[in-house]
Amino acid sequence: MKLRYYILRRLLFVIPTLVGLTLIVFILIHVEGTDNLIGSYINPRAGNIAGQEASAIQLLHLNEPLPYQYFYWVNALIHGNWGYTHTGIFNGPVTTAILLFYPNSLVLAILSFVLLTAISIPLGVWSAVRRNSLGDHLTRVASFIGYSMPIYWLGLILIIIFASNNVNPALNIFPISGTVSIELVSNASWYVQGVSFPTHLLLLDALIHGRFDIFENAAAHLVLPVVTLTYGTLAGVLRVTRSSMQDTLSQDYVRTARAKGLSENVVVKVHARRNALIPVTTLLGFTVAALLGGVVLIETVFDYLGIGYWTTQAFLSNDLGGVMGATVIFGLTFVFANLVVDVVYGFLDPRIRY
Amino acid sequence: MEADTINLAHDEAAGAPPRTGSRWKEWRLTLKIILENKSSAAGLAIVCAYLLIAVIDWVYPALIGVHDADALIPNFSNTVPQAPSFAHIFGTTYPGVDLYQAIMAAIRIDLYYSFQVVLGGAIIGTVVGVCAAYYGGYIDEALMRFTDIFLSIPYLPFAIAIAFFLGREISNISVALTLVWWPLYARYARGQTLSVKENAYVEGAKASGVGTPGILRYHIIPNVLTPIFVQISLDLGTVVQVFAGLVFIGFATGNLLLPELGTLISNGFGFAVTAPWTILFPGLAILIFAIGMNLLGDGLRDALDPKRRT
Repeated sequence: MKLRYYILRRLLFVIPTLVGLTLIVFILIHVEGTDNLIGSYINPRAGNIAGQEASAIQLLHLNEPLPYQYFYWVNALIHGNWGYTHTGIFNGPVTTAILLFYPNSLVLAILSFVLLTAISIPLGVWSAVRRNSLGDHLTRVASFIGYSMPIYWLGLILIIIFASNNVNPALNIFPISGTVSIELVSNASWYVQGVSFPTHLLLLDALIHGRFDIFENAAAHLVLPVVTLTYGTLAGVLRVTRSSMQDTLSQDYVRTARAKGLSENVVVKVHARRNALIPVTTLLGFTVAALLGGVVLIETVFDYLGIGYWTTQAFLSNDLGGVMGATVIFGLTFVFANLVVDVVYGFLDPRIRY
Repeated sequence: MEADTINLAHDEAAGAPPRTGSRWKEWRLTLKIILENKSSAAGLAIVCAYLLIAVIDWVYPALIGVHDADALIPNFSNTVPQAPSFAHIFGTTYPGVDLYQAIMAAIRIDLYYSFQVVLGGAIIGTVVGVCAAYYGGYIDEALMRFTDIFLSIPYLPFAIAIAFFLGREISNISVALTLVWWPLYARYARGQTLSVKENAYVEGAKASGVGTPGILRYHIIPNVLTPIFVQISLDLGTVVQVFAGLVFIGFATGNLLLPELGTLISNGFGFAVTAPWTILFPGLAILIFAIGMNLLGDGLRDALDPKRRT
């Protein structure tokens, strides 16, 4: 099968997954009854509650049988009508909340993903090549501890170490909470109530407006969350890379390559590494799930204004609109990330296209 | 019991060892292999120590100095955390709770719910996976697509959503986690069943007239259970972390006096910088259990691998 057809088929598989995803959220909503659902489509600041209630019932066709309701609910989602969220950090339409918080979480997740891939794969390969050396043992112990450590606890330990009223002022280098220092952005006209314009990506916007001090400050705020998230999710990839590389190095064709007199460097880099990385690619899909879960915990620990922090806030303030919107957006992100991983996988390994 | 006799006859004909007593021997061999390896022996020791603490909490908590294993004992006259001392070896945490007693009591609750999640998930998943693979065809398609739906949302946000609709109670966290944990077991059991099902001895059993229940009971389930068992032991360490994490971000009813490791970390959150021990010790309790469980799980995987035991 050509890569084109493989991608097309994989894209078609997304449709039933999306139907399943929305169906499950829909069922969860209706287990509770529709009162909360109607409530999440009401904006208390707009007044005329009874009128809004009636229009919500009309919009979602709540008087009709459940299958129809599902259809109209999905229809509302597609048209960007996700209801309202009322939490301590944001009040307003769910879609606006997602636009504001999503970029922050995306930066966190993508930086961690890049970092964890850049560290764990070379380290895993190196660890397998230098098997049973001191470095290999240290790597394994460190990854084992990372695997067993609660990720939010690691975040708290880092907070204790880097907190500003710590006994050692030399360690007072990384901010421990928030996304940026308030006093820096207070006079920036493009930063309003935690939101930066025009891209909503604070790092990018600071560069656009030529404020390198804000860029630096926002980047410093990212250090601890990214480090925590990376260390917490790195171990799984590292372990699989190491064992896969070890298996590959004991294959016959590697022995043949060595017997041909090729240098160890060529054997490892050209013959073994490429094949050893194939199973690692599948694992990266699961790693995305772990990262997205980690985002929820880490953002809460560091008060980082992202989707995860918003999810917990919505949960704690009994806000259906927020929890529903966050679940759908997490699901969409996950489905899309898996799509990308599978396409890359098909590109790397022609065998799986059949 | 006709199926039984047929089965025994079939096993003997195929040269399999007689069933009676062999299982006990198998477990003794497994234990021996685990104890031979230093790291898995350490894992076993840690896990046994935690189980022992949980049992003591349940039977006679005063034995390890815990006055009340069901609720923390607050001291409202002095709620500020005190540093570790002879009176409180791990110090105290908000609101004036002795941290040693709190952690010892919390271990029982965390272990109880984590076992509930993993065992519940494993049972549901194994039933679904074995049925899907054994019957195949449309049943397989339907069950596995159903499983895929559950895998389309990252497990932590999904658990949050389920717990939101069930209500903020600690027992609902374990229900929510069970609901997000079973699909992995279903996939795993399905893969395992598919490979076992094609073996000649299953075909032989079918040919000699053993019915579906007999084949499942004597030929498929025992072979599927071993890897599931290893997976359970590897998962327990993770589930303890996730469970405490969900309580930490505020899932429980806001009950400050619930002896649970996540609650303890969350109670200490506000004092993290001035009183680091309030965070340090409950987290270490989770970390050590997870390390022990993972060491034991790795050891079990090696010990139950037929290629490695002779």
